[in-house]
Amino acid sequence: MTETSPSIPIGRLLRSSTSGFTFGCSVPEPEVPLFGSFVKAPAQHNQSEVIGLVYNIVIEDDPFVRQLIATPDLQEAYIQDQRQNRKVPIEVSVLAVGYMNARGLFHELPPQPPLTLDHIHQCTAKEITNFTERFGYLQLVLNASDVPIDELLASALHQAASVRQVEDRRYYLIQAGKALARHLSNELPRLEALLTRAQVTT
Amino acid sequence: MTLQLSKISHEMEALGIALEHETSRLEQALPDAQEALRRIGLVADLESRIQRAIGLHWAGAIPLHEPVSDTIDIPPHPSRANIIATDGSQIYPDRHGVALYYLINIGSILFPHGISQPPTCNSQPQVFFETSDLYDGTNTVGSTTIDTRRSIAEVGELARLAAEVVDTAPTLALIDNGLILYGEPHSRNQHEHDAAVIDYLERLDYLQSSGAALAGIIDRPRSNQVLSLVHLSCLCPDEITSESLHYLDKFERISDAMLFSNLAPGERSALFMNASSENLHKYQPRGHKMCFFYVNAGQPGWTSLLRVEIPVWVAQDVDKLQLVHAGVLEQCRATGGFPYVLMRAHELAVVSTYERRQVDNMVAQTMIKRGLSPMVSRKAQGKLWVSHVKNRW
Repeated sequence: MTETSPSIPIGRLLRSSTSGFTFGCSVPEPEVPLFGSFVKAPAQHNQSEVIGLVYNIVIEDDPFVRQLIATPDLQEAYIQDQRQNRKVPIEVSVLAVGYMNARGLFHELPPQPPLTLDHIHQCTAKEITNFTERFGYLQLVLNASDVPIDELLASALHQAASVRQVEDRRYYLIQAGKALARHLSNELPRLEALLTRAQVTT
Repeated sequence: MTLQLSKISHEMEALGIALEHETSRLEQALPDAQEALRRIGLVADLESRIQRAIGLHWAGAIPLHEPVSDTIDIPPHPSRANIIATDGSQIYPDRHGVALYYLINIGSILFPHGISQPPTCNSQPQVFFETSDLYDGTNTVGSTTIDTRRSIAEVGELARLAAEVVDTAPTLALIDNGLILYGEPHSRNQHEHDAAVIDYLERLDYLQSSGAALAGIIDRPRSNQVLSLVHLSCLCPDEITSESLHYLDKFERISDAMLFSNLAPGERSALFMNASSENLHKYQPRGHKMCFFYVNAGQPGWTSLLRVEIPVWVAQDVDKLQLVHAGVLEQCRATGGFPYVLMRAHELAVVSTYERRQVDNMVAQTMIKRGLSPMVSRKAQGKLWVSHVKNRW
């Protein structure tokens, strides 16, 4: 298994495939999980870890919550009870963009998906830095279906830049913009919109 | 699907007509009943009638210190209060299962009204498998006995929680049912039930000593005890017999909930005492005479009548009585007519079919470890087989 820092688990896996997975968690913390953030899940009996990008966060409702919505001046204890005590899952969908194992980092679909109830962790800054050193993962995002591709790319690039030294961020984003330009050379309006969103200037 | 719905469609039509007729009859009789309730205060010999009726095993409602037709508006809710609730669920013994056992699960919630803290929730299961748990005499314990044991556990847990928090704020303890334990009528094991009631009353002693208020909440109550009082007040004194008390004549099948359906949202009825023999002979002597009132926990536009049962030591304590009235209504405000904490306590207690199977699997595994052979009956096995048939043609 690759050596990583022991980050705090943010949820457990509900279902998965080689192209992505969905995990559940209770109350989201202010910083996790976030749209476009890098997360990881164990696979192949802990021989590898699947790296993914959060592309959707769904907070399930239920009839009990619907009833409470209509109540004026709801006491804070009701809200805290629903958020912290009741097991209403928040479903977080993740697009697989690579994996890592003892041999290195790979920007391709993992050989096996993670298993039900596996812990999902936020990737550390070091892991994100290493994983985004090259830009192969952009291709997996661009090829995804049923995913807000451009918004996801913009968020992921922001995060990849933000974990780097301040003086390195601009250079990183310029390189990422060039990589994207190679993939989207036939879609110039889309490329321009995406680069604007990512605030990548060349 | 084996139930052929087409074969009962014509009965649905008849059912609808019957309901329509009955509703019409009740609506016609209801104004007379409500008028009779208003006139009860004019019946000079009501007290002696009640005493005579009690001698004939009448189990109606006895008025307390408030005029019976009074309505009492919602009192202010304390800015800070502890609202606690428990509810129970069970797995009954199954003689077709892998082993004979039963399980009681008690869900509880401590709701800190007035502060920004999440409620404290708990779920406490217990498995019963000793011979003394499973048999009363030579018979396996029945569902009524297990329900009684569950009720005792619910009140015990309420008392424990109340004692822990009552020093921090006025505390209201709620339970999802009436407060009187009724055994199986004509049971051969009356002594078992009597022992259970003594156990129950000891827990009520403990709860009372904590200083908390206690209330049992009954949603959609079907009781007609106040109607029985109304009926008694309408009888001529020489007409009072066991038979005349038993049949309510034109008030038959009107419920107390209908009688008090004119309560405005937030209002409660006057206080009454339950005149059942169980209450008078077992609860009253121990200082836990059970009383009740009705309250409209709905909102303008819809009525949600609850029967609220309280011990006499709550009924006679103005602060506790007001806490029950205001606390129940505040809890109902969030849910549309039933206390939030009771809904949550139920959610914390309920044992699903899936969980029951998991418990059965745990029992089977422990039997295998001991060299025993867990087997369900052939009948139970057959039910498992057919329950897996998804489609039947």
